Amino acid sequence: MTSKLPWGATYRLSTHCPRCLSRLPPRRTLTTPPHKLAIAAPPIDLTSLPPPNPQNARVVPASPSYFTGRPDSTDNYLNLLALLRRYQTLPTVPPAQAPRVAWRTVTQYRLLVGEPVRASKYHKIVEVLQRLNRIHPSVIPLDLSQAMEIYKRDVDPYAVKKKPAIIDEDGRAYGVGRRKSSSAKVYLVQGEGEVLVNGKSINNVFGRIHDRESALWALKATGRMDKYNVWALVTGGGSTGQAEAITLGAAKALMVFEPALKPALRRAGCVTRDPRRVERKKPGHVKARKMPAWVKR
Amino acid sequence: MSFQTCWRCLSKASDPALNPLRAPQQSWLLFPASTAPFTISASLLALPPKKKGRPAMTEKLVRGAKQTFTKKKKKPTDTNKGRKPAPGERKALRKRVVLSNTNALEVHGLQDVSAESITNDGLKGQVLGIPGPIVDRLRAVEAFKVPQGWALFRRPAMLMRKETLEFGKEMEGIAQNEEKKSIRRVYVGERGSGKTLMLLQAMTMAFLKDWVVINIPNAQDLILAQTEYAPLPSTTNPTLYTQRTYTAALLSSISRSNPILTDLQLSQPASTSDLPIPIPPNISLSRLALLGASDPETAWPIFQLLLTELKKPGRPPLTLCLDGLAHVMCNTRYISAPKYQPIHAHDFTIIKFFLDHLSGAEGLPNGGAVLAATSNSNNPVIPTLNLALSQLEGNQAVQRDPFAKYDERVLDVFNKGGVEVQRIGGITKEDARALMEYWARSGVCRQKVDEGFVGEKWSLSGGGVVGELERAVLRMRI
Repeated sequence: MTSKLPWGATYRLSTHCPRCLSRLPPRRTLTTPPHKLAIAAPPIDLTSLPPPNPQNARVVPASPSYFTGRPDSTDNYLNLLALLRRYQTLPTVPPAQAPRVAWRTVTQYRLLVGEPVRASKYHKIVEVLQRLNRIHPSVIPLDLSQAMEIYKRDVDPYAVKKKPAIIDEDGRAYGVGRRKSSSAKVYLVQGEGEVLVNGKSINNVFGRIHDRESALWALKATGRMDKYNVWALVTGGGSTGQAEAITLGAAKALMVFEPALKPALRRAGCVTRDPRRVERKKPGHVKARKMPAWVKR
Repeated sequence: MSFQTCWRCLSKASDPALNPLRAPQQSWLLFPASTAPFTISASLLALPPKKKGRPAMTEKLVRGAKQTFTKKKKKPTDTNKGRKPAPGERKALRKRVVLSNTNALEVHGLQDVSAESITNDGLKGQVLGIPGPIVDRLRAVEAFKVPQGWALFRRPAMLMRKETLEFGKEMEGIAQNEEKKSIRRVYVGERGSGKTLMLLQAMTMAFLKDWVVINIPNAQDLILAQTEYAPLPSTTNPTLYTQRTYTAALLSSISRSNPILTDLQLSQPASTSDLPIPIPPNISLSRLALLGASDPETAWPIFQLLLTELKKPGRPPLTLCLDGLAHVMCNTRYISAPKYQPIHAHDFTIIKFFLDHLSGAEGLPNGGAVLAATSNSNNPVIPTLNLALSQLEGNQAVQRDPFAKYDERVLDVFNKGGVEVQRIGGITKEDARALMEYWARSGVCRQKVDEGFVGEKWSLSGGGVVGELERAVLRMRI
């Protein structure tokens, strides 16, 4: 079905509300579909503009997506396509150099428009958005960037920049390590290999030599045992967890002093946190996995 | 059912089962076959004749009948495998001190420690062998302990650490009759830091300089109620207790370990009133000690006599050592006779003798050293001792708790002043390297001893704690 009347430029997700002419808030939670004012054409005032041929007068929808089941999302897609048509000649950057954007997930988008949007349809929108995002940032038009703003997540995960670890004015580097339920704060300072854990010497804290070796493994694996002093505070868990939490903390602190050691530390297994925890007990089981003994009747 | 009433006792007593007051009658007719009429022979006292055959309830199982589950008794396994250890054999094995390992390499160029070398600063950080005769004497005073790792090496040797040389110089000063007459010192430190070994080194140096050494190798032996004790009749308030067997053993070890006592003689004839046995005049002190060792009854008076003799002018300086100081700072397992209360350790004569010398209540006129070592592996927690030692050490963090109960007798030992507390810490990296090189030359440590290896093990051992260093390098090799 084609419409003879031009459909108005009422972008459903433009930054200006077509109904009240006020700026839309950046975050909208639309859970109920808007009334059909925006989709349908305004009522025709037949007195001021009498139709030349009243017998043939009919109501024409403002939007071509009026007869679809999902008018808002279709409108959005069409708007984006229109924008892409308008700006497709602008210079682009390679995809790797485009600014990193976290688009809304399909669930978030569904909540926004209040329509059961299919994932494949939303994927088409995202594809267009990615193409639009590749337009060179220096020439990107304002209306385009505003139109794209709506599809971005409320909290941009890529905007969170990790504070770079530094050596403080006392010459200390700091790292936090965790393992099982232990957590260790480790301060490293250049020195002769002295170690204090919770204010005690390491042999008082870890009775097993194995635990001491694993606590200092980051330094041992890189041959830095006699170059740094370690001062650690460790809480929670048992001796194995505490020792290995110190390993991770010491490795992070060591990477502040010598960032080039990261590959060596990764090979030594001191970079990645071991996410395993105690498995929970399940109902019907004796322990996490153990089942009661089978009894005949 | 009705009962006949007995008119004599007005009780329904016809049924014996219902009358609990009356015991069932022992009838002659119980065993009619075995009883003859008109006799009072002892046949009743005999056991009832055994029934022949199996009892009625345990019929032999018919074949095919269902058998209830019964636990079969296991046949007793043959327990007669080998010989059982004789009484005391296992303890002897446990207490055996092995001082030599023929599989270890002999270290070439290993110098022996001598009376001159103990003050030589150039020998700091070197490992020196202990001469054979000294080893025998140290063994006699039980200075070597089982877990110390002597069994790893060809022959006993010791590291000349800073504290050792300092002590050697102090000994030299006492021998040269400088102002300081005696050293009264308590060694404290972490577990495995070398407190007991410091005592051994002090005894070695004392033996080398011909001092007389009296060593109490393990203070716990005196308080565990494993050696006999008896009140000393002449003492009241507090009653002192002697441990005569232990004293006799101590006298024996004094006599065996101090050959210099053979040259010293009794200065004046002993008064017969003090001693239960006549002592021949001009007897050598070694002989005197053996006399006490042979008869525990006389051990304590002879020990006292020996001590007074050793304090006479012209006698050699004295070295008193005790390991495990915390044990003698609390109540013992011994029980006092009339009050049935635990006896305080300070009421025992041997402990009192040592602590009087440590506190300075009794002096050493000829000079000498009174050394005690604390232990961290097997010791009771004595807050009073911890407080006293920390205050003497200058540790302000440990303060007197106004609500805690402190043992005044323990505080009195240290209140008189003059007791030093020396903390034994880890050894330096240079010393650690020297020690590891000695281990490598003994063939016990197979790794290449370089800076990295030394630094790593030094860190792992908590900053050069020797016991931990030995554990990390020699014992935990996988």
